[in-house]
Amino acid sequence: MRVGELAVGRSGDKGATLDLTLVARDEASYERLARAMTAETARRALDGVCPGTVTRYEVPGLLALKFVVAGALPGGVYATLHAGMHWQKAAIWALLDAEID
Amino acid sequence: MRMAQHRHGALARRAEAARTVGGGAGFAGDRVDPAVALAASGLCDAVVLECLAERTLVPGLRARRANAEAGADPRLRRRLTPLLGPARDSGCRVISNLGAANPAAAARAIAALARQLGLAGLRVAAVLGDDVLAHAGEIEWSEPIEGTLLGAHAYLGADALAPAVDAGAEVIVTGRTADSALFAAELVPMLDGSEDALAGALAVGHLLECGGQVSGGNFEGPDGESLSAAAFASLGYPLATARPDGSAELFLLDGAPGRLDRLTCTLQLLYEVHDPARYITPDLVVDMTGMRIEETARNRVRVSGARARGRPAMLKVSGFVERPGMIADVEIGFAGTRAEARARVAADVLRLRLADLPEEDVRIDLVGIDSIIGGARPGNAGLRECRVHVSARCPDAEAAQAVEDEVYALTLSGPAGGAGIRSERRPRLDVVDGLIDRALVGSSVVWETVR
Repeated sequence: MRVGELAVGRSGDKGATLDLTLVARDEASYERLARAMTAETARRALDGVCPGTVTRYEVPGLLALKFVVAGALPGGVYATLHAGMHWQKAAIWALLDAEID
Repeated sequence: MRMAQHRHGALARRAEAARTVGGGAGFAGDRVDPAVALAASGLCDAVVLECLAERTLVPGLRARRANAEAGADPRLRRRLTPLLGPARDSGCRVISNLGAANPAAAARAIAALARQLGLAGLRVAAVLGDDVLAHAGEIEWSEPIEGTLLGAHAYLGADALAPAVDAGAEVIVTGRTADSALFAAELVPMLDGSEDALAGALAVGHLLECGGQVSGGNFEGPDGESLSAAAFASLGYPLATARPDGSAELFLLDGAPGRLDRLTCTLQLLYEVHDPARYITPDLVVDMTGMRIEETARNRVRVSGARARGRPAMLKVSGFVERPGMIADVEIGFAGTRAEARARVAADVLRLRLADLPEEDVRIDLVGIDSIIGGARPGNAGLRECRVHVSARCPDAEAAQAVEDEVYALTLSGPAGGAGIRSERRPRLDVVDGLIDRALVGSSVVWETVR
């Protein structure tokens, strides 16, 4: 199943760190996401996009998971070689389009 | 006079049981009209304009270097001309970091503008102290500074704005300040004095600081649903009525289009906070893990449960490092039958022609296929148009020209029909984080009063 069917998401950044948030549509979806979307799953999904060290945070009270990727944006978003500015605002689709069991 | 009566009247009526703040802008280039609508509603004690992203200071620093009176947000006049009158008429304070690299000059410019608008007596306060370049040697940088340190700015907290709020400033203009603090500063005098209440006010500020991003902007629901073009075009920006305990109700003005619910608010609450148990702001470390977001009506949520986890000893600093050279960012398009195939060939031609450049300094990809997050996704096949993009780090303008010329040369010596070429050169600018002992960061307030 596609992660984006269970959750909404948004990308952000601070300096060289990519900051990704998933918010589940309901408790069952959160349980399923929390089981399947490990830091390792997220790392694999991001590997071809922006490799980095993934730290995962659980916020069960808000049905949310966070994935913070240190070093994913070397030099910050303005130092990127991507086309134009702020490519990282689409990075959350690497997670939303990931398939989980 | 009229303003003072409004403000005192409004506050007295509410007996300080609540204050309402509006999020009128979420970045320097944000829309102008939402803040005007918030101010004109008569509901807000303050409208806050967040206009200073990490790098937005840099053009200001460059401008200030050339002219000591420059360095504020160049949009100041366009943004404030329609806002100052309605804000004063409804007793609504305007708080903004659009002072950018020169808040004192911004205050003078605002006073001059207010004079032209006939707003006699308007009191404008500038909050100074974020510029810590003089202490650059005492900043703990997260990585070595390689290049020219263009500026170093500490994030000030709500405490830096407090004297201006307490003294009744009608406009408060700052430089680098924690975005959430711009909102919390308005709420602090009404809070019960507990650290948890301040944590709540900072969380409210964080919810409002990106304007329309909490009310349906930059949002797609789990079934792919999003607002209509008409709703996006006149998106309502958020307000929050906070209580002394730091809890709040977020809502939209009556009739304003948007979507403000558990999903949109949770995404914004956790946006860019890194560890939700330790969201570090200059005033407090905020623990969001026990927070509750409850939908109480259509486009209305109640937010509560933020906890304080101590005051950080160090303040965050953003350093801007200008590195030699530039980035050349160039594109060429292909159209019609086999557009994608020809674009792929063109990309390969560029890989061959630019093979001498260090691999880590070049990126070549296909716009429409893999230029943003990589990897062809289902549904991309059979493009009628496709663009080849190349960016390269270049030591100087001559090298940048050579990269651009290779793309232009495809029009004569590449696949058929290379067209729609565009190119830009960006300075090489790194944002480097640091920490500074808060004892080294002093803030002060300077005043401008419109005669």
